[in-house]
Amino acid sequence: MVWAGPVATRFFADMGAEVIKVESARAWDQLRALHFLGGDTEQWWNKSAYFNHNNRNKYACTLDLQTDRGRELALRLAAQSDLVFENYRANVLERLRLDYDDLRAVKPDIILVSMPSHGKTGPEAHHVAYGTNVEQLSGLASLSGYAGMGPHKSAIAYGDPNAGAHAAAAALAALHHRARTGEGQHIEVAQWEAMIPNIGEFVLGYGMTGTQPEADGNRHFSRAQGVYPCAPDEGHSDAWVAVSIGSDAEFARLCAAIGRPELADDARFADVVSRRHNQDALDEAIAAWTSQRTQREAARALQAACVAAAPVLRIPELLQDEHMRARGFWEPVSHAVAGTWEMEGVTWRLSRTPGHVRVPPPMYGEHNDWVLRELLGLGDEEIADLEREGVTSRAPDLSVHA
Amino acid sequence: MPDHTNRTGPLSRLRVLDLTSGVAGPWCTKLLADYGADVIKAEPPGTGDDARGHGAFPDGVPHREESALFLWLNTSKRGITLDVRTATGRALALRLAARCDAVVHDWRPAEVAALRLGYDDFRAANPRIVVTSVTAFGQSGPYADWLQPNLISFAAGGQHYLAGDPDREPLQSAGYQASYQAGAQAFGATLAALWDAAQAGEGQAVEVAGMEVMASIMELYVPDAAYRKSEALQKRRGNFMSAAVGIYPTADGHIGIHAMPKNWPQLVEAMDARWMATDERFADNRARLMHDDELSAALYGWAATVTKHEAYERAGKARAPVAPVNTVGDLLESEHLRERGFFHHIEHPLAGSLPHPGAPARMPASPPEQSGAPMLGEHNVDVYCGMLGLAPADLATLSAGGVI
Repeated sequence: MVWAGPVATRFFADMGAEVIKVESARAWDQLRALHFLGGDTEQWWNKSAYFNHNNRNKYACTLDLQTDRGRELALRLAAQSDLVFENYRANVLERLRLDYDDLRAVKPDIILVSMPSHGKTGPEAHHVAYGTNVEQLSGLASLSGYAGMGPHKSAIAYGDPNAGAHAAAAALAALHHRARTGEGQHIEVAQWEAMIPNIGEFVLGYGMTGTQPEADGNRHFSRAQGVYPCAPDEGHSDAWVAVSIGSDAEFARLCAAIGRPELADDARFADVVSRRHNQDALDEAIAAWTSQRTQREAARALQAACVAAAPVLRIPELLQDEHMRARGFWEPVSHAVAGTWEMEGVTWRLSRTPGHVRVPPPMYGEHNDWVLRELLGLGDEEIADLEREGVTSRAPDLSVHA
Repeated sequence: MPDHTNRTGPLSRLRVLDLTSGVAGPWCTKLLADYGADVIKAEPPGTGDDARGHGAFPDGVPHREESALFLWLNTSKRGITLDVRTATGRALALRLAARCDAVVHDWRPAEVAALRLGYDDFRAANPRIVVTSVTAFGQSGPYADWLQPNLISFAAGGQHYLAGDPDREPLQSAGYQASYQAGAQAFGATLAALWDAAQAGEGQAVEVAGMEVMASIMELYVPDAAYRKSEALQKRRGNFMSAAVGIYPTADGHIGIHAMPKNWPQLVEAMDARWMATDERFADNRARLMHDDELSAALYGWAATVTKHEAYERAGKARAPVAPVNTVGDLLESEHLRERGFFHHIEHPLAGSLPHPGAPARMPASPPEQSGAPMLGEHNVDVYCGMLGLAPADLATLSAGGVI
């Protein structure tokens, strides 16, 4: 549900696995409610782009796991599966009697992947956290920020996609282990723990020095780098180019590229150390040049001169970006209710067995019949009973995410 | 001394040739190594991996065997020296690849061409090989040969513009987050291709581009712009999405609150602010958004009266999504992480005993493990003589020739 779990299973769906997403009328994916379309839009729960992007290539069925019948059918699905992913709170699977031991009883080599925020054990296991909290818990927020301005969040709920990537990779590693030994296992990706390695060098550094470095904006301790204002592009005045300079040779190339060759001989910028000490003055010189150009002109000119630079792309520009277009990254999708648009393609680019957006994102309960009939072998009468009893459903209970 | 023969992780039958440096590639191969693969990391003779030049360093004194960045990103690997730009070095790389399941490199297409070490070259040496490239821009397209330190893929991938204050410049996250994300996805993609190779008996090329990885994790920003064609969300919002989702100063530091509509009662309980539960301005989500400034004022007011750990403890009891903004020191003192045995101390012969975060995943049937990063060329004899069967005298020749 939400983001971390769906990111993890999307990797498998993109790689061609048959991924079946289970929801129910009273426990449906909250991302379906983040649609920005207005509450009066017909079937808005099938039109959330946030949900649709993260669940493409999957199938969706409904089973109320809090009912005996729903639980039993879920176990029958698990018995046919290699992997089960869940990102409920730490104790929910246990309460549903769908924990690892229950799954293992029906499928001895099952691989269960749990993604609790804090882990299933430890004194803080009962705490609740979303992806932004994970970034705060992990130390990253305390390391990020403008100089002297306190901690800063990133733009996204970073804990989610990070945990999703690590959960998918760990599940693949477990498949390798299973192929060799025949053994399944219960993997735990605690989202807080999965984030800390992303600042691992600060942890070792703390062990060496007993301190953590002060946040310093876009700067780097050994490179002279930052973002610089650019001329308005297509009416957007908030335009920036990122530039990063390491060696003396790179600096000399920058000076030539911005038409200030004399700066290469300026004592304030003579070496790596003085450039860091006098970066404010250097920033002014770079900004004077970038502000006369659009971000793309600036980045192209600098890269042509072998200086590391890139436009700080706004998302609408990223969607049209020539590099992404040339690589065919944005792929079209057609959806029965939501229409036709383009979404991000598959980031794991495999040359012989490439993944693509093959299956449109599933509508709520869209594949009930296929799952119940084909995978579980139920007949018409049983299927009708399940719906009558509320074990399966064709529309979510909208009051849940009001 | 790392034990490279008795590995417990899930990948303990795999061997990988690591031709990367810096952050993204080494993070991918560190994960492979910590999860059990025998990773042979080849570094340029003399200077080694660029990361060796980056701190922190013990007592602040630079030393190429004591870089925090290098020691963190190269645990559990065997280290050799190898100059793949020489004809002899290239031939040795191909001989090593013949004994490996995967090769990971971080070269731009122009570098691949100059080295003549593309997928076809490796495949000729080993048809089952998986060859993974992890770069900022991938192996094709107009930016493919652009220079690409972390800031560049962070900027190009879309996240940078949206982070930071509305009236200031875009702000990148600390460290090397674009590189870490590319490395983590290259790890997963490599395992997927290795899984396929085990069934198909044939390898393939795998490509992971940091710009694409970053563009693929843009939360609701890419989906909304792509689908609704709206620019409503496409602006920097500082530390707040709304009053209920943001970072607030406490008496002693900061906390983060992330209350979705369904978490409202728990937040009120954590704050012990019963008046808020009955205040009409906060009656439902719509009302709270209409009175965002008033809610913000109430949260600032409350946060200022508590320490971050008091707030966290109360939130835990109430099940409200509130977290302390931890410093690195806080992490190392966390009772929760200590009880879970998350940090490990690894003794390095020069840098001393240093704390290392554990693996991102716990896998009880095949637990990942970390051993110390290699010194430059530490395993030359082990690999070149033990694995490739060269005589010790040959190593002296290779060394004198600048190949190793």
